[in-house]
Amino acid sequence: MSESTELPPELEAPPEEVKAELADDMHIATGTREPILEAAGVTMQFGGLRALNEVTMSLKEGEVIGLIGPNGAGKTTFFNCLTGLYTPTSGAVTLRGKPMPQDPSRVTEAGVARTFQNIRLFPSMTAMENVLVGRHVRMKQGPVSSLLHGPRFRRSEAEARDRAEKLLAFVGLTRFSEELARNLPYGDQRRLEIARALATDPSVLLLDEPTAGMNAQETEATRQLIFAIRDLGVSVVVIEHDTKFIFTLCDRVLVLVQGELLVEGTPDEVRGDPRVVEAYLGAPPEEIEAQLHTTEGES
Amino acid sequence: MSTTIDPPVATTAPPVQHTGRFGAVLNAVAPFAKIGMIVGGVLSVLGAFLPWVTFVLNEGAYPERASLNMFVEPFGVSGFRLHITLLGIAAIVIALLTVPAKHRIVRGLGIGVAAVALLNGIWITVEGGGLGAITAADGTIAFGAIVALIGGLVTVLAATSGGLEARPEWEWELPWWVEWILLLVIFALVLLLVAEVLTSGGQGGVVNPYAGVVFLSLLAALSGALSALSASGLLTWVGVVSERHRVFSVVVLLLCALALPFTGAGTEYWMTVASNIGVYAATAIGLNIVVGLAGLLDLGYVAFLGIGAFTAANLSGAAASAVGIHLPFLLVMVISAVVAGIFGAIVGSPTLRVRGDYLAIVTLAFGEIFVRSAQNNIAGLTGGANAIPNIPPVGVGGFQFNDSITIGALRLPSGVMYYVAIVLLVAFVMLVFGNLKNSRLGRAWIAIREDEDAASAMGIRTGPIKILAFLIGAMLAGLAGAFFAHKTAVVAYDSFRFLESVTLLAAVILGGMGTIPGAVLGASILFVLPEKLREFADYRLLLFGLALILIMRFRPQGIIADKHRKAELADDDPEDVAREGPGALPTEVK
Ligand SMILES: Nc1ncnc2c1ncn2[C@@H]1O[C@H](COP(=O)(O)OP(=O)(O)O)[C@@H](O)[C@H]1O
Ligand SMILES: [Mg+2]
Repeated sequence: MSESTELPPELEAPPEEVKAELADDMHIATGTREPILEAAGVTMQFGGLRALNEVTMSLKEGEVIGLIGPNGAGKTTFFNCLTGLYTPTSGAVTLRGKPMPQDPSRVTEAGVARTFQNIRLFPSMTAMENVLVGRHVRMKQGPVSSLLHGPRFRRSEAEARDRAEKLLAFVGLTRFSEELARNLPYGDQRRLEIARALATDPSVLLLDEPTAGMNAQETEATRQLIFAIRDLGVSVVVIEHDTKFIFTLCDRVLVLVQGELLVEGTPDEVRGDPRVVEAYLGAPPEEIEAQLHTTEGES
Repeated sequence: MSTTIDPPVATTAPPVQHTGRFGAVLNAVAPFAKIGMIVGGVLSVLGAFLPWVTFVLNEGAYPERASLNMFVEPFGVSGFRLHITLLGIAAIVIALLTVPAKHRIVRGLGIGVAAVALLNGIWITVEGGGLGAITAADGTIAFGAIVALIGGLVTVLAATSGGLEARPEWEWELPWWVEWILLLVIFALVLLLVAEVLTSGGQGGVVNPYAGVVFLSLLAALSGALSALSASGLLTWVGVVSERHRVFSVVVLLLCALALPFTGAGTEYWMTVASNIGVYAATAIGLNIVVGLAGLLDLGYVAFLGIGAFTAANLSGAAASAVGIHLPFLLVMVISAVVAGIFGAIVGSPTLRVRGDYLAIVTLAFGEIFVRSAQNNIAGLTGGANAIPNIPPVGVGGFQFNDSITIGALRLPSGVMYYVAIVLLVAFVMLVFGNLKNSRLGRAWIAIREDEDAASAMGIRTGPIKILAFLIGAMLAGLAGAFFAHKTAVVAYDSFRFLESVTLLAAVILGGMGTIPGAVLGASILFVLPEKLREFADYRLLLFGLALILIMRFRPQGIIADKHRKAELADDDPEDVAREGPGALPTEVK
């Protein structure tokens, strides 16, 4: 797994001026390091299956948390509980101390955006239109104004388009802005989904396996992109299988196994934890250990 | 994103290797593609000049001197034989020229020839009592239909074997005034064409048994010509130009529509037909919001047209109305729209709970409830089986909308004012659709159609927004209904049956989902056809079904494709896969 840090131009990290402009536009309060998204004892029961058992998480402002665990551990279910898609059987989710609404659209409005493990773009809309849909909650444009296309309408459209252009530049998709989402290469579809989520001006972004199916270069580009998103002041939770990716990206890592929160800590703590080595993937400990430690010293 | 294809490159593309079921045949023919196209064209023209009928049909001479006595006036070719001649000559000329997408263009022309020949051949055979009518049964020779059909098929085969190129994308930009003049000419031609199509074959009925087939034949010829034009990329280019001069185009199109009474279609009869088309076009556009944009299947939509019509009838001062008050027409329209809208919201509210097929069943039930209620004269509002007759015409001052108008020496037929009113109404409905589609609300509808869960994850309140689609769609139908009541002067429950809902839905799908011209075109085709095909009235449903199957097979995106839908469905089109074969050039650089 040799990897070049030389990225092709279209995969390079977002340009500084775009980052600065976006940070200006989104003006997310940062620096307080207060907990922003908290889940306390979240349990999700599907009939006889307990997909989540008393999972607790606290995301601080400006933090990047990694969520790892084998397939079927309940990671996606946890995201669905956070975003109102599922109502937890018990436990509480709060955003800045207030209870999280139990409706995906209101969750987004409150400032939590997400991407999906199986890409869920609007396939026959253009990349630009996909991002514009992301602006939906922040646009001041009622039905009447939509009908009349007056000056206020045009202003709000122009603003939304301007922001969408910046976001497409931010994820490096400017050249595809008029292309239909379904025609985009796989990796770019994932990046477009991120741009669309960012368009909702989130303070928290939940990424479900953002590098699934990507090659080494694209994965590296995504890592850079998530750093850039954190720099905008957005707090991030990332689900990923690729432990190396998680350990070099996140401030804190949560390990979920069969719905239980097994270990929580800094990448170094988690990497060294024998329980993780033992439980994760269920492979012989030495092998996993070897795999986990290859990542040390690199970044 | 797109590149213009240099003509020389496109025509020197390497020979195509055909695969698929007919691959072997096509590969065998391929070396003779050019000569084949020419032969096909010559056969077509020859066929047009041969006699088509060995004897005179039962209801008198088949139009355009198709029987043996055509030799009396061999150069007086007109009607379908003129169409075949023109298509055939065009095929020969294009085959000889060096133009991009030549094979695709010629194939379109060939399809036109074959369709016209087949249609008229079948008609003559059926009416003339068997194949003898188009062959040599009674000792005389009439091979016209057969020769022209073979000519058309040879053309199609040869053109296809030559390899179908990608549609070129032209990027010409002319000075603005040249483009204006061009658009003016094109739209004027469209107007004349519309008038020609509308009146072709004349009024259907007992007196004119050939109306239907003459009309269908013209449609077949036109679809051949249009598919050739579309293959050349010129149609797309005209679209781009008119998009560049959007306001100008809209104004000119509106003026053209208003100019229809001054053409051959300017009689009371055709004005009435055009007004009816307008009513259904407006309704279809409303339905297009629900089905085309928001992706919600509504099988009872015509009920909203009915609600609008009955509301207007009751407020018209007609003797049979239950309310017995007479309000100004514009106010009546608004009230009808609001009432229909309220019902729309009610019918739409199950969308909060049910999706897909279940919703379709709810709407179906609503449509049925409406018809049954109206049939039983519910609350005395619908007149039941007696309908609400004698609805007074719309009047402004002393002037009644169904009067004829005399401007100087020009006398416009009665019904013209209704026609003008419906043109304005359709224009308004189009504006509503277009503006909504390109707004936050329209994008939300499309997003819901594409992926409802992802839409709600983007902060879209899917429930209210879906209800809004029903509400607005129903309001537009209600507007059309109010107009309908006054125009036809009688509102009866049986104008709003399930069949009508299906026809409207078919109009939307046929024309192209999510597009405005598509809904208008679809409504025009589906509501002119029964007018023309009186003698086929029993087969109306069969014809619809056939047309829909053909469209879904060969052009699933509808006649006028939404750019989104087009791309969505293109992959399933076997042609497009073939087009991406080795001989083809990409039209888009990704
Ligand atoms: N809606 C649901 N109904 C029933 N079981 C579910 C549902 N969603 C997830 N599960 C189950 O919960 C478990 C965790 O799934 P998931 O959260 O997708 O795992 P991960 O994302 O960690 O791979 C799996 O056993 C899955 O089958
Ligand atoms: Mg998952």
